[in-house]
Amino acid sequence: MEHEKQGFVSKYIFSFDHKMIGKQYFTLAMSMGFIGGILAVLIRLQLGFPSQPFPFLENLFPVGMASGIMTPEFYVSLFTMHGTIMVFFLLSLLPVSGFGNFLIPLQIGARDMAFPFLNMLSFWTVVPGAIIIIISFFVEGGAAASGWTAYPPLSAIRSAIPGSDLGQTLWLVGMIFFVASFTMGGLNFVVTILNLRTKGLRMMRMPLTTWAQFIVGILGLLSFPALAAGALLLTFDRSLGTSFFLPAGIFIGDTLMPHEGGTPLLWQHLFWFLGHPEVYIIMLPAMGFTSDILATFCRRPIFGYKSMVYAIWAIGTLSFLVWGHHMFVSGMSPFLGSLFVVTTLAIAIPSAVKAFNWLFTIARAKIQFTSASLFGLGVVSLFVTGGLTGIFLGTNATDIQLHDTYFVVGHFHFIMAGAGLFGAFGAVYYWYPKMFGRMLSERLGKIHFWITFVAYYAVFFPMHYLGVSGMMRRIYDPNVYEYLQPLQPVNLFITISAFVLFTGQLIFIYNYFASMRRGAPATSNPWNATGLEWSTPPHPGHGNWEGEIPPAHRWPYDYSEPGKKRDFTPQWEA
Amino acid sequence: MADEPKGSRGSLQGIAMAVVIWAIVVLSSLYYVRYGVPELASDRGYLDSLYYVILGITGAAYILYQLALGYVIYRYRGDRPGAESSYWHESHKLELTWTIGTAAILIPIVFTGLIYWDRVRGPAPEDAVTVMAVGAQFQWDFHYPGADGEFGRFDPTLYAIDNQIGLDETDPAAADDWVLTNQLVIPVNRPTRILMRSKDVQHALFLPNFRVKQDLVPGMTTEVWFTPVKTGSYEVACAELCGLGHYRMRAFLEVMEEADYRQWLSDNAPAAVADAAEPAAEAPSASAE
Repeated sequence: MEHEKQGFVSKYIFSFDHKMIGKQYFTLAMSMGFIGGILAVLIRLQLGFPSQPFPFLENLFPVGMASGIMTPEFYVSLFTMHGTIMVFFLLSLLPVSGFGNFLIPLQIGARDMAFPFLNMLSFWTVVPGAIIIIISFFVEGGAAASGWTAYPPLSAIRSAIPGSDLGQTLWLVGMIFFVASFTMGGLNFVVTILNLRTKGLRMMRMPLTTWAQFIVGILGLLSFPALAAGALLLTFDRSLGTSFFLPAGIFIGDTLMPHEGGTPLLWQHLFWFLGHPEVYIIMLPAMGFTSDILATFCRRPIFGYKSMVYAIWAIGTLSFLVWGHHMFVSGMSPFLGSLFVVTTLAIAIPSAVKAFNWLFTIARAKIQFTSASLFGLGVVSLFVTGGLTGIFLGTNATDIQLHDTYFVVGHFHFIMAGAGLFGAFGAVYYWYPKMFGRMLSERLGKIHFWITFVAYYAVFFPMHYLGVSGMMRRIYDPNVYEYLQPLQPVNLFITISAFVLFTGQLIFIYNYFASMRRGAPATSNPWNATGLEWSTPPHPGHGNWEGEIPPAHRWPYDYSEPGKKRDFTPQWEA
Repeated sequence: MADEPKGSRGSLQGIAMAVVIWAIVVLSSLYYVRYGVPELASDRGYLDSLYYVILGITGAAYILYQLALGYVIYRYRGDRPGAESSYWHESHKLELTWTIGTAAILIPIVFTGLIYWDRVRGPAPEDAVTVMAVGAQFQWDFHYPGADGEFGRFDPTLYAIDNQIGLDETDPAAADDWVLTNQLVIPVNRPTRILMRSKDVQHALFLPNFRVKQDLVPGMTTEVWFTPVKTGSYEVACAELCGLGHYRMRAFLEVMEEADYRQWLSDNAPAAVADAAEPAAEAPSASAE
């Protein structure tokens, strides 16, 4: 492979190199995640200290926090945008678009993705989406305020809430950009993995990370178009006077709306047809990272590789058949609800397979405690905690009481957000040497881990107590309800823990950027790992391998093979 | 290995990880039992029983798994004396055991859940007291059908300050209808059926003490039924985001003894009926079955 000398623009901005594009996604996702984190801190500020004045915040948010007290409409915008930014722009972009692009060619022995131009286009399609989402905070009426789920009519009728004016329009436009980008990426993932594997790399020799990205590519391709369709129809309802989601007789602000014939439930079906696979789009890469990281640092093959692959397939397939569990009390037919219980709880089976395989990977190991392996172990713990609380919610009879309470908030912050985020952190600590040719500071990494792990449990576990006690989600001030007033100390505790959690992330951001220049230089295989990506030079250039692409002689988990001199045999060694 | 990552074998990290996981399990479980479900006031205690059964099963799984996780992390630290990792990575027997084991635990939960769901969502008994809840940003109106047991027609063009539910008074069935705002009164030990509709956006009727939650969807009529078994005054909440005042869309549910309920009807219904320009004398019959 020959490459012309690259200028700044073609190297750093409109790059075709999958690794640079991956890093561009990292920068974007981390910036968005930082903003999403600030929104979370503001949400917790209100819940910990309801309606108390914080005059210094007036300078930052002159409208939303006039005289330092948060307005309810600002609060609603905050959690709407927190959810949107975190789910799509951090937890989808970092593990999938970021690590997917960065790792797939390295792990399968390809020089680049199948469609490098499409890859670049995909990144530069999501950037305007992100910018539009951020700009929406500064328009008349503020950012979208109908929850990240954007249920109409609240999201469809401009006078329903201030954020449903221009803010919601921008939200929809931003989401359409996001979907366009994500489907381009998914297509690229699937085609690359199917066609560009190096010699000898049969599908059943692929690392679990690549397996996860493969299934995620398929999930994205099949599910995101449903959101695009929904967002487009909702835009029509808002701007062209159609009535896809709006029935007759809606009366808002002393005005009878002219719509007729639609139903809000249609939106819920379209949204959750994306929304549930999306959860696994976030989760599966984290599961893949965890498997690869645990195998490396346990110095042991991943336990039950085949069943891990089957579990990824099973989870991916079932993820399309469970969306109705978000709608048990929505007015959807109760018969349909019963069907969704069966498919939903069926997902617990492949999930349990993964949890037990991890446990048995750790057992009989020789664990090296690096920042990466600590985060990997963290994923296992969070995944089990969040998975088990899902059983309450997937059973429709018990979901009645817990639906739309903080129990749900606690649940998905463990399983999706928590396991997803910890997986991504682990992956950054693990693959950073390949990304920048330098090592992250292990000392800072470990401090980051301990703060994050403990604070994460402290923030999100007590949310289950709130939910069981009946505290609804998305309420600006729980103390309006007498029965929720005794819960204020729990809310205060969560708020303080959330501040700690947020502060801990600053250590990570500092480590990430400072180590690019100051980190110890990395060798080409600093962890003595076996995957093909570790056969590249410490900081691989465009094209990844200087000479021939090494063939794959074995699966990527040959650690501590009996009779071998070293405790690992790389994939590229015969 | 000589070239292992620096400091990665430090036993401190492994021991700390095990201890922290164990501490989290103990603390989170101890605190969990301190926060119970709100006091039960309906016949849906069986939902609570199922909740506690699932809590027992998942709680045990949570505690056992996390304790085991902490243990293997502690036990298989890289720097333990004679540390050796095993190449053993497959056991069909084990894998089959936990696959089938998980399924075996889940199946009874699924079936019990479905049976209870059927009970909750089945048709309301004939003798149920029927009320229509009308949700609006940000108030609840409870529409009683009056003596004829039939709700008067509503027409969205009639929504007004003094006609919050858009009742069409030319409809004969509307003559004895009346409305309570942010207050619902029902008799104890008799099934109550609540029909629901929304004027504007989605809402959800949440009765925390009654294990009742149901969305209100514009353009549709949804319903729930339950039997209150305890008298008293309870809070009613909105559980679906409905706008900036979502958090204060609160109402009260009074559950009264049958006799008190009838007394209350004769004391209060006439005034409401009088508003609808109907003879007050007919109101007491509203309580007759």
